[in-house]
Amino acid sequence: MRNYVNIILIIVINYSFASDQVPAPEQKHPILLTNCTIHPVSSEEIRGGSILFEKGIITGVARRMVNWPENTEIIDLKGKHVYPGMIAAASVIGLTEIGAVAVTRDFSERGEVNPNVRAEVAYNPDSEIIPVTRSNGITLAHSCPTGGIISGTSAIMMLDGWTWEKATLKAPAGLHINWPNMGAVRYRRYRVSEEDAAKRREETLKKLDSAFDEARRYLLAKQADTGSGIIQHNKDLRWEAMVPVLKKEVPVFMHAGEIRQIISAVEWANRQNVKIVIVGGYDAWRVADLLKKYEIPVIYEGVNSLPRRRWEDFDTPFTAPLKMYEAGLKYCISMGTGGASNHRNTPYEASKAASYGLPKEEALKSVTLYPAEILGIADRVGSLEKGKDATLIITDGDPLEITTQVEQIYIQGKTIDMSDHHKGLYAKYKEKYLQLGKTE
Amino acid sequence: MRPRLSTTLIFIVSICFINIVNGQVKPVDAGQTIHHKTPKVFLLKGATIIPEPGKVIAEGDIVIRDGLIESVGKNLEHPADAYEIDLSGKHVYPGFIEPYFVQKEEKSMDRPRGNQQKPKPKEIATATSHWNPKVTPDRHVLENFTLAEKQTENLRNLGFTTAHVVPSSGIFRGQSALIHLGDWSPSSIIKEAGPAQSIGYEYGSWSDPAYPNSLLGAVALIRQTFYDAQWYDAARKVYKRYPQNNEQPEEDRALAALNIHLKNNNAFLFETGEELAALRAGKIAEEFDLNLWLKGNGYEYRRLEEIKELKSFIILPLNFPKKPDVATWEAALQVSNEELRHWDIAPDNAQRMGEKGIPFALTTSDLDDKKSFRKNLLRSVERGFSKDDALASVTVTPAKYLGLSEVLGTLEKGKIANLMVTNGDYFDQKTTIESVWIEGLEYLLRSTPDADARGTWLIQWSFGEEVRNDSLKITGEHEKPKGKLIAGEATIPLKSISLTSNNLFGFSIKGDSLNLAGIVRFSGTIINDYAEGQGLTPNDETITWSAQRVAPDKNDKKDRKKKTTEKASTLVVQYPEGAFGLEVKPTQPEIILVKNATIWTMGPKGILENNDLLVKSGKIWEVGKDLSISPMVKSSVVIDAKGKHVTPGIIDCHSHSAAFSINEGSQSVTAEVRIQDVLNSDDINIYRQLAGGLTTANILHGSANSIGGQNAVIKLRWGLPPDGILFEGAPKGIKFALGENVKRERSWGRYPETRMGVEQVIRDAFTAAVEYKNNLSSRMRGKGGKLIPVRRDLELDALVEILNRERLVHCHSYRQDEILMLVRVAQDFGFKIGTFQHVLEGYKIAEAIAEIGAGASTFSDWWAYKYEVVDAIPYNGPLMEKAGVVVSYNSDSGELARRLNTEAAKAAKYGPMSRADAFRFVTINPAIQLGIDNKVGSLEKGKDADFVIWSGDPLSMYSVCEQTWIDGTKYFDLDRDSEVRQKVKEERNQLIQKILTSPEEDSQDDSFKRGRRRGPNEVEAYSCVGGELQ
Repeated sequence: MRNYVNIILIIVINYSFASDQVPAPEQKHPILLTNCTIHPVSSEEIRGGSILFEKGIITGVARRMVNWPENTEIIDLKGKHVYPGMIAAASVIGLTEIGAVAVTRDFSERGEVNPNVRAEVAYNPDSEIIPVTRSNGITLAHSCPTGGIISGTSAIMMLDGWTWEKATLKAPAGLHINWPNMGAVRYRRYRVSEEDAAKRREETLKKLDSAFDEARRYLLAKQADTGSGIIQHNKDLRWEAMVPVLKKEVPVFMHAGEIRQIISAVEWANRQNVKIVIVGGYDAWRVADLLKKYEIPVIYEGVNSLPRRRWEDFDTPFTAPLKMYEAGLKYCISMGTGGASNHRNTPYEASKAASYGLPKEEALKSVTLYPAEILGIADRVGSLEKGKDATLIITDGDPLEITTQVEQIYIQGKTIDMSDHHKGLYAKYKEKYLQLGKTE
Repeated sequence: MRPRLSTTLIFIVSICFINIVNGQVKPVDAGQTIHHKTPKVFLLKGATIIPEPGKVIAEGDIVIRDGLIESVGKNLEHPADAYEIDLSGKHVYPGFIEPYFVQKEEKSMDRPRGNQQKPKPKEIATATSHWNPKVTPDRHVLENFTLAEKQTENLRNLGFTTAHVVPSSGIFRGQSALIHLGDWSPSSIIKEAGPAQSIGYEYGSWSDPAYPNSLLGAVALIRQTFYDAQWYDAARKVYKRYPQNNEQPEEDRALAALNIHLKNNNAFLFETGEELAALRAGKIAEEFDLNLWLKGNGYEYRRLEEIKELKSFIILPLNFPKKPDVATWEAALQVSNEELRHWDIAPDNAQRMGEKGIPFALTTSDLDDKKSFRKNLLRSVERGFSKDDALASVTVTPAKYLGLSEVLGTLEKGKIANLMVTNGDYFDQKTTIESVWIEGLEYLLRSTPDADARGTWLIQWSFGEEVRNDSLKITGEHEKPKGKLIAGEATIPLKSISLTSNNLFGFSIKGDSLNLAGIVRFSGTIINDYAEGQGLTPNDETITWSAQRVAPDKNDKKDRKKKTTEKASTLVVQYPEGAFGLEVKPTQPEIILVKNATIWTMGPKGILENNDLLVKSGKIWEVGKDLSISPMVKSSVVIDAKGKHVTPGIIDCHSHSAAFSINEGSQSVTAEVRIQDVLNSDDINIYRQLAGGLTTANILHGSANSIGGQNAVIKLRWGLPPDGILFEGAPKGIKFALGENVKRERSWGRYPETRMGVEQVIRDAFTAAVEYKNNLSSRMRGKGGKLIPVRRDLELDALVEILNRERLVHCHSYRQDEILMLVRVAQDFGFKIGTFQHVLEGYKIAEAIAEIGAGASTFSDWWAYKYEVVDAIPYNGPLMEKAGVVVSYNSDSGELARRLNTEAAKAAKYGPMSRADAFRFVTINPAIQLGIDNKVGSLEKGKDADFVIWSGDPLSMYSVCEQTWIDGTKYFDLDRDSEVRQKVKEERNQLIQKILTSPEEDSQDDSFKRGRRRGPNEVEAYSCVGGELQ
C-alpha cells in the first residue's frame, strides 16, 4: 500500500516539478544600463551612473559612460538601483524540492564518509524553488551535501541554465564535514548522557581522522607513481575526491556552531593542515581571536534564529555578525542548509543584523561580496567591477528592505525570465476573482 | 469510612506478607514454630530526651512497655520488670516519619527507553475496572506489595521508623497506607487504608497510542474522572430509587472508590515535578473542592506566594542539585542562570517555605542515595533552617497531616514507642544514629566501630620459640586505617587492614625482611587501648600477639574535613527564575503620555504624524496633538518619542510558545484538552517576543488530530504566573486540523488516513454533540428527577459550545478542497469558524471563506516544506484580503513571533498594499479574528494600552522595537534590557566563582534526569508546519 502511494507521489511530483520558466539565451549584444544608482559594493555607490556589459562580462562601470559598441542596447533606468546579484552562501537549493517528501531529498547520502559524492550532479535545474528564489535577487547558490560525517563536495550554482552543467559556476567548491556535538545534547525528550555523547564523539572523530589518514596515504602513493609501472595503485573514488582538500586547493566547509565544536575543529584543521571555513558559527564571535589568527572565515547561519541558551541576550543571533565585523573576522550571512524554499529572504537576514548595529554597507556585503570571497568566486561575482560577470539585479530601492521590488535580473549578462511558480498562480487566481466580480 | 478491604484484596495482602484478618493475628501455626513471649519492657536511662521539637529533658528516662511509651521524664521509678539500658551521653528523639515511601519498582518493570510500550495489562482486570488502565483509584498500595528489606533498612539508618506508603504509577494511582519500618509483623501496618489518594500527571510519549499521551490529556482525564465520579454517585442514587425508569448504569469500581475518597474528604496527593505543576494541581483542587496535598519538587521557592494560597500540605524532597559543570569557560556557557541560581538557592527551599508559613514534611523519596538526606538537612540547618522546624518536619508535622498525632510524632506517655537514639545532637555532623526503636523494639544500626586502631602501638608477638617486640604506627581514616610495622631497622607496610563494627581488627605484612618468606597474618580485637589476638606465619606456625597503644595518632584528620560554614543564598527570587526575570513586578503608572510620535492608530484615524498618545489607568484615553497631563497626577510617565513610531501591540494568531504540552495526538477528537491547563508563563520566548513588539498571542493545540484541544489567548505579561497571562474575556476557541498531519499513518493505525475520512471524523463528532445537546435539554426537563442525569462529557461539552457559537474554531488547513469541505460542514452544523490557520491555498477559495465570515491566519511566504503546500504563494494574504477575507499573518514559531512587523511588510511587497493596510495583518485583523478587537488591535479610546514604540517605520527592516507596553505597564524596554544583561553576566560570574571555590560535595540529584524542564540548549520549538509531527 505504501509503495503504491509512493509511486503515485513520484508521478505527481515529476509531473508538477518542471518549472515553466525558460532559461535565458546567451547575451547576444552589449547592454548599457544607464541613469541609475549603481552599487558596486566594492566601492562607493554611483548616482546617475551607467554599467555596460558584453558577452556576460562587465566592461564598464562609470558615472558617465562615453564609449559603447554600436549594437549596444541602452536601457534607461531612471530612479532605479543596480546591485550585484545576491548569493545564498550555504543551501540545498536544487537538491531538494519538498522537505517532507523523502524522494525529493537529494542532499544526504547514505553512510558517514562520502567525500566522493558531488552536489552539482543532483542539482535539478527545473526545481520550482530556483525561479522563486531568483525573483527576489538571489542569483547564485552554494548547494551543499549535508549528511553523515563527510558529506561530499558542494558546488556554486547560477540560478539559471538548461542543465546543471550550464548552471555550475564552480565545482567542487569544497568538502563538507559535520563536526560532532561536543557535549550531551538535550533536545526535547531525546536525551543522551555525557558518557554516551563522549563515546559517540570519539567514534566520529576517529572516523574523520582515519579518513584523512587514508586519503593522505593514497595521495602519497599516487604521487610516487611515476608512470613507470613499478608502483601502481588502484583508484579509490573517496580519496581521489579529497586530493584538492589535501592540496589546499579547496577548503573544508566545517559545519560547527557551538563553541567547543569550533575550537576543536580549528585545532583539527591545524593538525591536518587543511583550510577550513566554519559554517553555522553560532558561537564564532566568542572565539573571534582564534579564528582571526588562523584566518578562518565564517558562513554565519541564522541571524533570524532564537538564542540557543536561555540566558543569552535576546538579540544574540542578531548581533553576532556585528561582533564578527568589529573583531575583524571574515564572515558572511546565510540562511543555511535546513531547507531550500526560503532563501529568497536571505537579504532580510542581513538587514536584521543591520537593525541591531551592523553598518548597512556591511550588511549588503555580507550577502554579496563576502560570500563570493569566502566561496572562492570573488574573481567572478560579488561586486560590480570591470571584468567580473554581469550577474546583477535591478531594484526600485534597497534590496535589504522587504518592500523593495526586484525588477530585473541578469546572470552572466543573460536577461532572466522574471516569472515564477508563485507569480503564475497569482495571475491565475487574480483572474478567478475577476470572473467572480470580487476584484477589479 | 472506607469499607474493609474486599476479600480478593485481603487474600492478596495475606499471601504477600502477613496474615491479617480485620487486624487480628492468626494463631501461630504450631507446626512452624513455638510461641515467642520475650517480655518487652525497657527502661532507657539517663539520655538527653527531645520529646518534641523545642523541648529537652536532660538525663531523662523512658519506660517502654509492650510497644508503647509508659512514661517519659526525669528519675523515673524503675519498674521491677523493666530491662534497663543505659543511655547516658545519648540523645533520644521521636522516630522520624517518611511521608512519601514508594515501593521500588521491580526490575522487570524497567523497560528500555524508547521502546514502544504496549499498554500494561491490568493487574486485576475485571469487568468493573475503569476503561483507562491509568485510572485505578480503587487500587490499594498494599496490593501486590513486597517490601524490599534494603529499603526499610536504608530508612531506619536515617532514623525513620514509620512511613506513608504511596502508590506511584498511573494517574489515579490508588490509596496510600501507613506502616512501621521494622521487621514485618502483624502490627506493622498502622492503616491499610491510608489518608491519601495519589495522583500523577502521567502520560505516554507522543508516539504512544494510549490516551493520554500528553500532559494536556492527563489533566483532561483527571478532570473527566472527577466529573464521572460525581455523576456515578448521582446516577446510582437515581437508579436505586427508580429502577423501572432507567437502564442500569454500569459498575465501575474506580469511580465508586473515588466517590468514597471525595465523601470522606480524603487527601488527594498530587505528585509535582516543578512549581507550576503545583499551581496546576491547585486549579483542579479548586474545581472539585479537593483536600489538596502535594508531593513537592524542590522548586517551591520560585512561587511561594501562589503556593501558599493553595493551603496545601506539601511533602518536600531534599533533592539539591549537582554542582553545574563550570570547569571550563566553554562548558560554563552551557549552564543557564536558572541552573546556577537553583544550585545556590535550592538548599534554602525548606527554610523559605517555613518562613512563609507553608506546612511541609520532608521526604527522602527523590534521593537516589538516601544517605544524602541527613547531609542535605544539615546543610539546610547550617544555612539557617531552624533545628526545631527541621525536626518538626520529620516528626510532628507529618504525624499531624497523616492522622498519627495521637500515636506518633512525639515522645509522650501512651504513644507508640518509635524512637531514634543518637550519640549526640542530631544536628551535629559528628553525631551518628546508633539505633531506632520501632513498636518498642530496638533496631541497632550498622555504625562505625567503637574501636579506633589509629595511634602508635607496642606489639609483642611470638611464634614457635621466637618473641618479637616491635611497634605499629597506624594512621589514616577511622574505618580505613593504614599503617606500618617498625621492626628494628625494617619498616613494613601493613596490608589488608580491616576493622569491623564488632571491633575485630586484622592486618598482614610481608615477612621477608624478618626471615619469614611470605605473608604473615594477624587478627584479633581492640578494646580501648589494648589489642590482642592470634596469627599465622607463612610456615603455618601460630602467632600470639598483644599490643598496647602508647600514643594517639597525631595526625587525626577528623576535623580537617570541616568546611567553612555555609550561608543561606542571598539571591532574591526572580519572576520567572533565571536570566531576565524580574525581582519586582512591573507597575502601571496612572498616566502615560507619549509625545511627538508617528502614531499608527490602525483605526479610522490612520497614521498620524507628530501626535501624542495619552494613557490613563491602563487604557487609551486619547490620541491627538499637543496633549498634556495635569500636574495633580501622582504617577506619570512622559516619553518623548520624536522620530519614533508608535503602533498597537502586535498580535500573533497562531503560537505554541508558553505551553508545556501541545498535542494530545492519541485520538482523532480531543476537544476536552485545554492549553490553559498547561501554560508555561516562564517560557523565555515570552520575553524575546516582547522584544519584538508582541503583546498578545493565541496559544493553540497542535495539528496532530482533526479536532484538537482548546486554545488559550494570552497577553505576554512577563513575570506573572500562568493565570496572570490569560487574556481576560477573550472568546473561547479550539483547534481543528485537516490534511497531511491528521491523516498521516500512525503505527497503531489511527483513523483517518485520507481527507475523506477527516470529513467524516468531524461530522461524526458533531453528530454526537447534537445528540448529547438534545439529551441534556430533554433530561433537564425530565420527569421529576426520575431519570439518570446525562453524564457530563468534557469533550462533547466543548463541541456543544462550538455548536452554540460560543467557541471559535481555528482550523489548520492547506488545500482548497479541505477548506471548502469545512466551510460546508460548518454551514450544515451552524458553527462559527474564527479562522482558517495557515490556509495557504486560501487564495484559491477565498470567496467561500468570505461567505461564512471566517478569518484567514496565514504565513507570509512559507512554502514547499510539505506536499500540500507546493502551491503556497506570498500573494495569498493580499489576494484573500481583496476578496473580502479578514487576513492576518501569524508565526507558528517562537522565533518568527519576534518579527511579525516585518512579516507584514511582505503583504505590502507582494500585495501590493499600502503600508497601513499591510500592518493590519498583525494588529487589528488578528484581534478581529480572535474576537478581542473591542480591547486590542488599535490605538483607540477605551482600548487596552498595549502599544509598541519603534525606532522607525515598523515595516522597515532597519527599525527595532524599543519599548513594549501591555495594559499601560512596561514589559520591555531596550535600555532596561541592556542593564539587565549586564547584571545577568555579573551574576553568572559570581555564581560560577562560588561554585568553583565551593568545597561542597556533589549531591546526586540531576534535575534534568528528573525531567523537569528544558535543558539549556534545548529548543522546544513546536510548529505545525514541520514535516515531522512532534
